[in-house]
Amino acid sequence: MRSLVKVLASVGVGLCLTSCAQVTKGLKAAKLGGVADDVVAVSEKFQKCDKLGTPPAVTEEYALGSALAIRWVQQGGGLMLSGASEQQLNTYVNTVGRNLAMQSPRPTLRWTFGVLEDARNFNAVSAPGGYVFVTRKLLQGVENEGQLAGVLAHEIAHIALKHALSQYATVKVRECKGDAFVSTATERLRSASNSNGLLDLDADTELLGTLADSTIEELRKGNSKDQELAADRLAVELMLSAGYDPEAYRQLLDKMPEGDGGAVNHPKKKERMDEITAFLNKLKDSGDAFVALSPDSLHNPALPASFSVVKATGVAKDTK
Amino acid sequence: MTKRRMMGVLLLALGLPVTGAWAVQKDGKLYVKARNTRVLKSPLPTADVVAVLQPGQQVTWKGADPKNKQWHQVTEPGGKPGYVFQTNLSTKPPNMELVAKDGGTRAIDPAAFVSSGAAVKALSPGAEKYGNEKGGTSAKAVKQIKALEDLANKVTPEQIAEHVRQAGLFPVVAPNTTVGPQKVAAGKSTKGAK
Repeated sequence: MRSLVKVLASVGVGLCLTSCAQVTKGLKAAKLGGVADDVVAVSEKFQKCDKLGTPPAVTEEYALGSALAIRWVQQGGGLMLSGASEQQLNTYVNTVGRNLAMQSPRPTLRWTFGVLEDARNFNAVSAPGGYVFVTRKLLQGVENEGQLAGVLAHEIAHIALKHALSQYATVKVRECKGDAFVSTATERLRSASNSNGLLDLDADTELLGTLADSTIEELRKGNSKDQELAADRLAVELMLSAGYDPEAYRQLLDKMPEGDGGAVNHPKKKERMDEITAFLNKLKDSGDAFVALSPDSLHNPALPASFSVVKATGVAKDTK
Repeated sequence: MTKRRMMGVLLLALGLPVTGAWAVQKDGKLYVKARNTRVLKSPLPTADVVAVLQPGQQVTWKGADPKNKQWHQVTEPGGKPGYVFQTNLSTKPPNMELVAKDGGTRAIDPAAFVSSGAAVKALSPGAEKYGNEKGGTSAKAVKQIKALEDLANKVTPEQIAEHVRQAGLFPVVAPNTTVGPQKVAAGKSTKGAK
């Protein structure tokens, strides 16, 4: 009988993919009782869980983003912050990054940019709320400010377009719809799904930890191909807005080792480079008179002397 | 011809809408996207300031300056005419969400943006607790992020504007400024604003 309930529940859930509310309403109206009531209960629970898929309030975003930032810093071996030269490097990265972020669709976020000690992975990561981190290894491959701006703009774009929040919403809904033998986190999510679906993560550290852990597992797989290409397009727009030549970003992508960072969902770099070219062609073919740039406007400035600290191989640091 | 120059020529020849801000008609509305956007009396970066606008405020677009298409003639919300650097404007409104000082979340009046708590940065209290209790190196990460945020908050719009000027980028993010004549900084002028 228990398995029959499960089968029917699955069928009900499957039907929910198209018209969950209608299926539930129909079954309720039929007043079949017994197993049908169980299916209705499961269906209603699933509908409530879907509320958690709504975009979170910015306070919830900051809480999640802060927790994810802690995890990224841990995994990146800590931040390069020791000594005046490393702090100067971070000041420079924040100057370049904030200039771009203030021109993004989310200029009021509290943007923070940092350099991770990681000297093995050519990578950049971001977290909701405005956290962007690049690895020392990536910076070692950067040749001018335009290339740095390109990678920062790409991460800014992920935040502005709320890509991680989309994965977070998926995690919340999935956890809420979990098995009958539920965790404390699932119970709390179900409780939230009974109201407006918004969570006060600052008041529930345990739930924050559970959701941050699950979200970071999703993020490790990388954003979807569509999200990655959308972030590239917005990155190009931000570069042009600030006065950088997007060609620098293409050059940096070309240097990027294929599949570095373990992001299995990422599109191949050739596809990304081709898409950037196509996007620029599409822009130029639009014929809009609102904006026109002079031929010499776009510019990729040289890196400052303080940048050389990324290549320093002095005393080994404790990154544990 | 270098790739850079070729791209620039293409953008100029075909009127690239670089900000993702698509078609706009004369007398149409555009949004300001960067803080402290200056409306200037003439299409020169050193001209007198007519008004200072914040993200989300709207201007009426009158068209690009015929001599320098990077500067666009607008009417500011108070009705005064002036010029704004092109990439300060967008057809799409920016997202203005932030956390107010009282902890609540709200969309903010653009004009009140500068005096708001938007620039105050702190790791979320829940995340800080989570990090400090999680064990391993997470408490160290919390400490480092807080130090990084202190450092990041010291990067002001004034510093950004000075970096942009020295690097020859576009003068989109401006320092806090007031209406009237500008203090002209010494040194290399902004390449993109010529």
